[in-house]
Amino acid sequence: MLAPYLVGLVGLVLVPAAVTLTLAFTEYDLVNPPSWAGLANISELVTDPVFRVALANSLVFALVAVPLRVLLALGLALLLHRRSFGGRPARVAALLPTVVPEIAYGLLWLWLFNPLYGPINQLLRVGGENGLTVLGRTPPQWLTDPTDARAAIILMSVFTMGETFVVLLAARRALPADVYEVAALEDATGWDVFRRITLPLMAPVLALLVVRDLIASLHFSFVPAFVVTDGGPPPYATTYLSLFIYRTGFEYLRYGYAAAATLVMMLLTVAAVVVQWRLFRRYRAFYRL
Amino acid sequence: MRRPRALLAALLATVLLAAGCAAGPGAASDGPVRLLVFGAPEELAAYRTLIEAYGQTQPGSEVQLIEASDRKDLLARLATSVAGGAPPDLFLMNYRFYGQFAAKNVVEPLDERIAASEKVNPADYYPVAMEAFSWGGKQLCLPQNVSSLAVYYNRTLFAKYQVSEPTPGWTWNDMVGTAIAMTRDDRGVVVKGTESEGAAARPAVHGLGVEPSIIRVAPFTWSGGGEIVDDPERPTRLTLDSPTGREALKNLIDLRQAYGVVPTDAEVEAEDDESRFANGRLAMLMSSRRSTTTFRSITGFEWDVAPLPVYQDQVGVLHSDAYCMPRGAKRKDAAWRFLEFAISAEGQQIIAATGRTVPSHIGVSQSPVFLDSSQPPRNATVFLDTIPTLRTLPTISTWPEVEDVTAGILENALYRGDRLDEVIRALDEQTRPLFARGEHG
Amino acid sequence: MNDADLTHDAVVTHDAGLTLDGVSAAYRGVTVLRQMRLTVARGELLVVLGPSGAGKSTLLRVVAGLEPVTTGRVWIAGRDVTADRPGRRNVSMVFQSYALFPHLTVAENIAFGLVVRDVPKVAARERARSAAEQVGAAHLLGRRPGQLSGGERQRVALARALVREPDVFLLDEPLSNLDLALRVQMRAELRALHDRLGATMVHVTHDQTEALVLADRIAVLRDGRVEQVGTPDEIWHTPASRFVAGFVGSPAMNVLPSSGPIHPSGAPPAGMAGDREIGFRPEAVVLGVSDGTAATVDRVEVVGTDAYAYLTLRAGNPVVARVPAAHRPARGDAVRVGVRWADTHVFDAATGLRCVP
Repeated sequence: MLAPYLVGLVGLVLVPAAVTLTLAFTEYDLVNPPSWAGLANISELVTDPVFRVALANSLVFALVAVPLRVLLALGLALLLHRRSFGGRPARVAALLPTVVPEIAYGLLWLWLFNPLYGPINQLLRVGGENGLTVLGRTPPQWLTDPTDARAAIILMSVFTMGETFVVLLAARRALPADVYEVAALEDATGWDVFRRITLPLMAPVLALLVVRDLIASLHFSFVPAFVVTDGGPPPYATTYLSLFIYRTGFEYLRYGYAAAATLVMMLLTVAAVVVQWRLFRRYRAFYRL
Repeated sequence: MRRPRALLAALLATVLLAAGCAAGPGAASDGPVRLLVFGAPEELAAYRTLIEAYGQTQPGSEVQLIEASDRKDLLARLATSVAGGAPPDLFLMNYRFYGQFAAKNVVEPLDERIAASEKVNPADYYPVAMEAFSWGGKQLCLPQNVSSLAVYYNRTLFAKYQVSEPTPGWTWNDMVGTAIAMTRDDRGVVVKGTESEGAAARPAVHGLGVEPSIIRVAPFTWSGGGEIVDDPERPTRLTLDSPTGREALKNLIDLRQAYGVVPTDAEVEAEDDESRFANGRLAMLMSSRRSTTTFRSITGFEWDVAPLPVYQDQVGVLHSDAYCMPRGAKRKDAAWRFLEFAISAEGQQIIAATGRTVPSHIGVSQSPVFLDSSQPPRNATVFLDTIPTLRTLPTISTWPEVEDVTAGILENALYRGDRLDEVIRALDEQTRPLFARGEHG
Repeated sequence: MNDADLTHDAVVTHDAGLTLDGVSAAYRGVTVLRQMRLTVARGELLVVLGPSGAGKSTLLRVVAGLEPVTTGRVWIAGRDVTADRPGRRNVSMVFQSYALFPHLTVAENIAFGLVVRDVPKVAARERARSAAEQVGAAHLLGRRPGQLSGGERQRVALARALVREPDVFLLDEPLSNLDLALRVQMRAELRALHDRLGATMVHVTHDQTEALVLADRIAVLRDGRVEQVGTPDEIWHTPASRFVAGFVGSPAMNVLPSSGPIHPSGAPPAGMAGDREIGFRPEAVVLGVSDGTAATVDRVEVVGTDAYAYLTLRAGNPVVARVPAAHRPARGDAVRVGVRWADTHVFDAATGLRCVP
């Protein structure tokens, strides 16, 4: 029954994944046949300062960007789930950035972040003199200062929370309405309702989405870093694991080494999935009605 | 219900296998010769003109241009197409980057074809360019151009501010002085660009544009009598800790930190040096012949080129691209015929007419096609005069990684003012493993 | 229909337990309640009875404040609460679906209203426990709604409603989701609870048996209007309209034209002139009357010691008769039916209202 899907899964996902993982233990330059290298790639990876920076960047990015994304998606979902005037255009607007192709999205932000002529800094300079903001400080040097560049990439990825938003919207709408009526009768404040009813009832979905986003954050940092900051202001401020792998494999033609880094990325993904599995199992029992 | 699904699965599996094992497009040995290049639209137009002209001389022989968006894209495409078994028949590559392919035995030596050819005579071409593409004693590629660094300058601005134009033989200090004099605010008053951001007077025009990369440091180190690597043939480390290296580095950094004549990093990020020059906000720009095609579309002012300034000796750094043929190419003979045409005087004249190249063919470079002064730069001889003094950067296979690493360190040094000793140490430490991994020709 | 409810609820007192004064409500543009006037005395258990779509649930929701009124005013315990939000009206509601919080324990569910009002945790827990005891759910305090049966959930919903001691209890068909045996049991417990608490309760149901058993008074609703308000006895013995007569009692009352095939025996009441209809319940029909109307038996349903014979008069009208199972007729038998005027109700054929002599 699942045969057609399995063919695709095996042929397009599992087989290439297995091949890549095997290549992690070889030296391969895409041009000459691979030669066995054992654990040499792994040991080089461990001591490579650039890899460590890339790994740290990816982890920090995940820990900062994912909560922001989910919080924004949750806030918007709670704001926009009812039928209201202007609700539908607002929901569409929240979804739009995900629909735009990633490269186009990245180029758009490249322009927005232009430190001198981009709209963001121009706006920040309103009211200030000599190119400073109203508060007398320089506007963020988006693409030339390491911290500001990381903030820029995080900012870019916060707005593409459209899929999370849609899922949370559906989850909120699926919550039983009578429970909220009980809360109204008990004169619960908005904060009470959120804290005691909405949040606990949506917790399983939220947990699922957070883990999904954590895994996906390893991937969706690639296009912004590639298109907008090109690995970031030196040294490697916005070089994420995905960009590191791309560069090593396709620019420096060290495919085996890149495959070893991919192996690390896959281990991180597996860890995240395991965490999600355990969390889900523990809390799922509460919500069977 | 199970049989149609099983059939569908079998069909999908077959399609998957066929797609995976096929040799890719253009596997047949007839069909157009595929040439992989990258460049700005004007450069690509030049190649298309060349291809059209070739089509007219040899009717029936087609050449197809494959355009990559930039150098990195070209490298990626080349590597993956070679790995996939369907490489282009010819590609154009800079000598600084061809080492990784030469070391991996991807490029086919052309010595026999050159010897057997009537159209191509190695003696017609500038030796420095030919040698740059010689690997392991074999001629792997044939150079198309012999460009180098020069200083483009805005003649209209110089006239407006009444500063004397650069002259051949001018020194680094001359250049710095000129740049200081040309860094002015919007009222035309000379201003020191080092003042912190937010200062009342910021330069509206900057005196000089220089990209912080090792390619810009090299000629000045050589000009001071020093070396950038310990052994140009088999380098194992950078030697910028020598007195001449230090001096070249310090002078580069001072452009921003001491004199403020180059734009800040935010300004460069907002508007790159070439655009800035084309918009008339940069008095001088250190760049190669590549910029000529872009600048020929400038209408607002007059511009020209001057040679690189010197410390002691006049030295230039080679910029050269060549046509190479992959070993796995399917249409080598047809590709060679096109190569002959492109490299010959006829082909070089066509490309030279677009202004993109300093032709590698000695005769063409000295002809009016290149030296025609009705199109800027009028001082095109600057590019020719410097050819005898050109030196090459090492062609070790990991040089692209060296360039990337040093670019990051030098960028921080220039704009953030890192301590010179730190910079030199970082340059040495981070490039040593790269040299160790590299292979030489 | 204003005449009918005016006669039964003439004085709208504002310090009753609950008063609806000319209340109309609409849902998505469709009028559901029409100028409703209703009073519930303090401590009374009023059952709101009616078919689906009559507006029973809307009535409750309007009282609770969950739906807005388009006209009229709502008074609870002498206070005009029309403009108040639900939380300020001091009402409790038991929903048809019980609306328990699936992620909280039973104790936390019951104590929810107290916790939200910043009652100290110890006191809240204590009150929740005593409320649970009152409804017989004390042994469930540690469980979660997912682990409870339907009846247990209903008790918890009740406990949650009464822990706060509100002015009015609203119960929206709380017994509909239970099986028959449980329903009968819970009915008795509900009645006992009401008697113990002495609270004002409004109980909505479509089950007339439940209404007759539970209520102090019944309000019969039809199409957003009150057809009749009265004690179960009044509703049963003196239905105010043909609708009420037909709705209460199963099988339904037989209604035939007054001029029609059946002529009741005995003295007719006064004011019979004009287009009238007569109604009589199945138990009032006598079979085997010598001068009765001829009829054929279509089918007979036997329920224990009672049998319901479904007859068709020769004229074509259907009639249901209740007879002792031992003396029931067989299918296809020809019988003669009769009824006495004393057991007959007279309605105006046009308006459906009871004709009062």
